[in-house]
Amino acid sequence: MTTSTAVVNPTVSVKLTGAGSTFINPVLQAMISAYQAATPTVAINYQSVGSGAGISALEGHTVDFAASDAPLQAADIAKAPNALTIPTTIGAEAIAYNVPGIASNLHLTGKVIADIFSGNVTTWNNPEIQSLNTNVTLPSNSILVVHRSDSSGTTFVFTGYLSQESAGWNKTYGQSKTIGWPVGLGANGNAGVAGVVQGTTYTIGYVELDYAIANKMTVASVENNAGNWVLPTLASSAAAATSVTSLPAGNGVWSTFNLLNQPGANTYPIVTFSYILVYKDLSVNTDLNVNSADALVNFLYWAVNTGQGQAQGLSYVPLPANVVAIDVATIQSITFGTTALAIQQ
Amino acid sequence: MSNYAVRRFKDRLFFFLGIACIVLAVLPLGSILLEVIVKGLPTLSLNFLTTVPGPGGANVGGIGPAIQGSLILIGLTSLIGIPLGVLSGIYLAEYGDAPYARVMRSLNDVLTEFPSIVVGLTVFLVVVLKVSGSVGLGFSPLSGAIALSFILIPIVARTAEEAIKLVPNALREASMALGVRKWRTTLSIVLSVAKAGLVTGILLAVARVAGETAPLILTVLGNTHFFEGFNEPLAALPLQIYQDALSADPGIQARAWGAALILILVVLSLNIVVRLATRGRMGNSGRK
Repeated sequence: MTTSTAVVNPTVSVKLTGAGSTFINPVLQAMISAYQAATPTVAINYQSVGSGAGISALEGHTVDFAASDAPLQAADIAKAPNALTIPTTIGAEAIAYNVPGIASNLHLTGKVIADIFSGNVTTWNNPEIQSLNTNVTLPSNSILVVHRSDSSGTTFVFTGYLSQESAGWNKTYGQSKTIGWPVGLGANGNAGVAGVVQGTTYTIGYVELDYAIANKMTVASVENNAGNWVLPTLASSAAAATSVTSLPAGNGVWSTFNLLNQPGANTYPIVTFSYILVYKDLSVNTDLNVNSADALVNFLYWAVNTGQGQAQGLSYVPLPANVVAIDVATIQSITFGTTALAIQQ
Repeated sequence: MSNYAVRRFKDRLFFFLGIACIVLAVLPLGSILLEVIVKGLPTLSLNFLTTVPGPGGANVGGIGPAIQGSLILIGLTSLIGIPLGVLSGIYLAEYGDAPYARVMRSLNDVLTEFPSIVVGLTVFLVVVLKVSGSVGLGFSPLSGAIALSFILIPIVARTAEEAIKLVPNALREASMALGVRKWRTTLSIVLSVAKAGLVTGILLAVARVAGETAPLILTVLGNTHFFEGFNEPLAALPLQIYQDALSADPGIQARAWGAALILILVVLSLNIVVRLATRGRMGNSGRK
């Protein structure tokens, strides 16, 4: 039962630590930078170590919040009981490739992507790819697959998409933050995959859209549910967010929720939320006190409201109003022991 | 005379082969240094060295926290590791014939070759995690220093042992003959004679530790702010380089080059400062 309400003391400086997703890192760093400018007493340190490492850090109580693109699974929920799920941004995963002489807009279906990543399609001019791109002269070079080596929410979303598109992939590999990849080269973090794809010819990999744009990478058009070829852009990923309904509550189970293959003629099929994960009772983190817990709650509130202004410039989609409403209710439910935490709106 | 010409030719041949080998060996080192200086130098400014890193784009910021963090880590690691390492070295050299000491020595050698990521992982599980069965220090300067000490101690211990073994026995005997006890002989005579070797070993170990990245990922995490306390994550130069080098942002990639140059300069200047500071006292008894 809530017995009192804490109000953050603005004169005391507060330090908060978060770790996790590299997918969310560009927009979260921009949010933190903007929040820091407005609220100089709250210093937030976010380290993009990968979603899996972030969730481990949350379970080990070594960080105040984690970020992950993969929602908590049953095993995680057991290790981090009463953790809340706060969708914080929406982004697309681009299928980036580096084939000399071939610009963006190579056409790929989910099935072909699954065949490439499972090693069934091994050359760029394989009939499966060529038949989708009849007016493109494809080289006969081998395809070098680049995937994540760390435990990754980006991999979780990507393999979730492949599992929906290819029965074979679903049966053999399924959806996970780590995969026993049959082919290819592992790289650390979204930035690592982007770096290897950009630096090596005849490669293909999956990266968050901002990494693809910042690196000026060539990206594939992917066939969506409506049968259209769609490039990953801010508009085509925003289209996936318009139809989001029936979200779980912040303290609910999100393990099967996804934004893949959403309806719409121009909707890009590989889109995901990236979540911030925090404990409902922040007193389980021994290095937090009422004051710093209140500062964390205020930052989270700011991030899902004002902070969304940072998204579009970095090709992330601002949260729709119905998601913000759920987030606000979740954030308001956070306590420190039995003390409610005041939010300055 | 033709015999002489052949021998002269052979001599010349091997001389030039030797020179060629040296050039081959030095070439990569030179090219690394040149690359780091050429790419790192343009980023350097007072602002770069003193400000916090920015998110990228127009606001790249600097590497102030990383420099500060690395110096703190080197200091803390030296405080923990050097006394332990030197004491271990003394034990191994002066009392090293016991079977127990021989086991110690081989374990120490194993530890020297230990992959640093394994050290980091062990410290993460035993010291960092805030769950039962772990010390629960969290991502903190002390956790990082403990991990780095595991790397520093065996190197210091081994080099200290070798340096102390080189001290002539006559000096020990002379000291004992004057009625000085063994512990006093070791501290006052043996250590001061072995000082040059000890300092070299310590410098090598500190330089090795200053560039370690793997154990830091799991123990200090990294920080975008200056030192925040002994129970908060800390920035460090190798971590900054590792993260920035992976970035897509050209400004942040340039920041990695700048940080790499600073890391080299930090190690180099540590080396020079310590050598200058200990030179006077090593003069008369240093090399015998």
